[in-house]
Amino acid sequence: MTKPSGPTLPRLSRRRFLAAGASLGVGVIAAPYVASADEPTLRITGWGGKWGDIMKAEVGPAFEKEFKCKLQTDTALPFLPKLQASSRSAPIYDVLHTNSNEQWAAVEMGLVEPKIDAKLVPHLADVYPYALSDKIVGVSIFTSAIGLGMRTDKGYSGVSSWKELWDAKYNGVRGGYVIPVNSLGQAFLMMCGTLFGKGQTDLDAAYAALEKLKPIKLVDFTGAMEKMFLSGEVGLGVIHDSGIYRYDGQNQPIDFVTPSEGVLSLEQVLTITPGSKLKELANAYVNYMLSAPVQKKLAETVWYSPANKMVKLDDKYDAKLLTTPEKVSKLVQVDWKWYNAHKDDIDSRVNRIFRA
Amino acid sequence: MMQSAPSGHPRELSNELDSGLGRSDTSARRHVVPAARHRVRYGRMLYLAVNTAVLVFLLAPIAIVFVFALNPTPFIQFPPVGISLRWFEKFFASRDFMHALGFSLEVAAITTVCATVFGASAALAIARGNLPGARLVVATMLSPLMLPAILTGLALFQTYVLLDVGRPLWGLVAGHTLVTIPYVVRTTLAVLHNFDLRLEEAARNLGAGPMRTFFEVTLPLVKPGVLAGAIFAFIVSFDQFPVSLFLVSPGSETLPITLFNYLKFDLDGTIGAASAVSILLAFVVVIGLDRTVGLRSYVKL
Repeated sequence: MTKPSGPTLPRLSRRRFLAAGASLGVGVIAAPYVASADEPTLRITGWGGKWGDIMKAEVGPAFEKEFKCKLQTDTALPFLPKLQASSRSAPIYDVLHTNSNEQWAAVEMGLVEPKIDAKLVPHLADVYPYALSDKIVGVSIFTSAIGLGMRTDKGYSGVSSWKELWDAKYNGVRGGYVIPVNSLGQAFLMMCGTLFGKGQTDLDAAYAALEKLKPIKLVDFTGAMEKMFLSGEVGLGVIHDSGIYRYDGQNQPIDFVTPSEGVLSLEQVLTITPGSKLKELANAYVNYMLSAPVQKKLAETVWYSPANKMVKLDDKYDAKLLTTPEKVSKLVQVDWKWYNAHKDDIDSRVNRIFRA
Repeated sequence: MMQSAPSGHPRELSNELDSGLGRSDTSARRHVVPAARHRVRYGRMLYLAVNTAVLVFLLAPIAIVFVFALNPTPFIQFPPVGISLRWFEKFFASRDFMHALGFSLEVAAITTVCATVFGASAALAIARGNLPGARLVVATMLSPLMLPAILTGLALFQTYVLLDVGRPLWGLVAGHTLVTIPYVVRTTLAVLHNFDLRLEEAARNLGAGPMRTFFEVTLPLVKPGVLAGAIFAFIVSFDQFPVSLFLVSPGSETLPITLFNYLKFDLDGTIGAASAVSILLAFVVVIGLDRTVGLRSYVKL
């Protein structure tokens, strides 16, 4: 009996198997590069939440269309360790978007360029001075005001100063942050030095003030503080204005108070990495984010105050956000370079204060 | 007469006390028996209390997750003010969450296959291969459990950066496989510990080749350990956070990473709904495996 004739499969020898496996491996590794070889991909960082939604839906695609590129946004924290772990000559990001405290840490490590070139980013000419001040690395594209959040249904009328947070009537409903992990808490500590001592760097005065702030409810994230206000667990606490204004129109009994001593600045900062291979596109992105239409769109979506002074917001937003030189003059910027240099000592001390 | 071991039941204990004290000593019996009964009753109550406390300790977080997910208020509130499915609706309507859920399932499924194949093969080799330095190999295989997972993630991330391969899917799967292999190795080794090698020898003597022996004799016998390891691998991968933190690529985030990023900005019941779905999925996987391949033999492990 003869075997039926027909196409026969080649015998799978060990050598062939290994060769096929190696080819498959190389193919899998190379596939993303082959697929994306035709258009540049600008790698940036960004936030989630409403910011992420509007960036993904409108702002990002418009940039991609205008500059014929792909925008790859990493929204998964932590950004800095990832940037730190990547090569300086081939960084994982082209543009780093994060808060000012992290930007200062990044520039100290040589991970980002300290300044943006005004010749390459024309909209730098349109920003308020705070956005390019000596307290800022790169450029601040937006800021929030850190002040006091207050329940309006508890009879806490007439709050106008930071110092009222120390009033004993707020025992049990006072809210703050875990300072080692939250930049609002860190900025608030600096404000304590200003309020009760010789200035932001007067740590002894700040520590003494924090001791007197107990009992206080501490949270890690600003989102958690918002919920504490909504639930009524916190009646008066530290929060940024966008964390209160985002509930505008939802009939929530909460309001933002601008203390007479000023509001702390929570900047959204963009920097460019020195090793970026797409410097031109990175500068174009920074310029685009500072353009009036993008500033207006984002400001009215997430309640951030635009850095571009030419932006005209709708009345509702204009009334509350920092959109005039007078309002902007209320901003108190934190010396993050100094803070980062003392962070370990500060963390250790505040942990002892609040552990007790 | 054969003496039975004390059972702890009050009536039996009473009988034992009867024989021990002697029936004539009625006065002693009258005092000792109620005391013993009380001791048994208190012991039983303590036993039940401890077990209840352990169960509450284990299940309370799950209950809180469900309360949070079903409470209509956008913040954690106790007692809940009602029951609502609004957070589940928001979760299932969110493209980001749905993508993350699908991606997590994909990664967990591939990881389970990889970890099971590598882990079970390694366990077989360790248990029966007369490997030189087998103990060292076991320690190496289990070492990812001893290393903080966040360091494993960071080390892999740096390796991928050095290799300039970005953060591909296979890189994430490799990270998850690394931390899930120890579970498969451990559970398979536990089964192989009592494995009777003569069964394989009998199969070979009866003419079965190595492959047939493996699939028809060895694998069915070690199946409980392998499947238990596979279930662990799936659940650990599906819930994996520290390794994923560094290895997820932009736009392809797993559910735990998406949840973490979400709660930084929005701490509402969607987090609870997502967690509830994760828990239910874990149950579905376990029940599905029970229905398809049978899990009852695991109790022997």
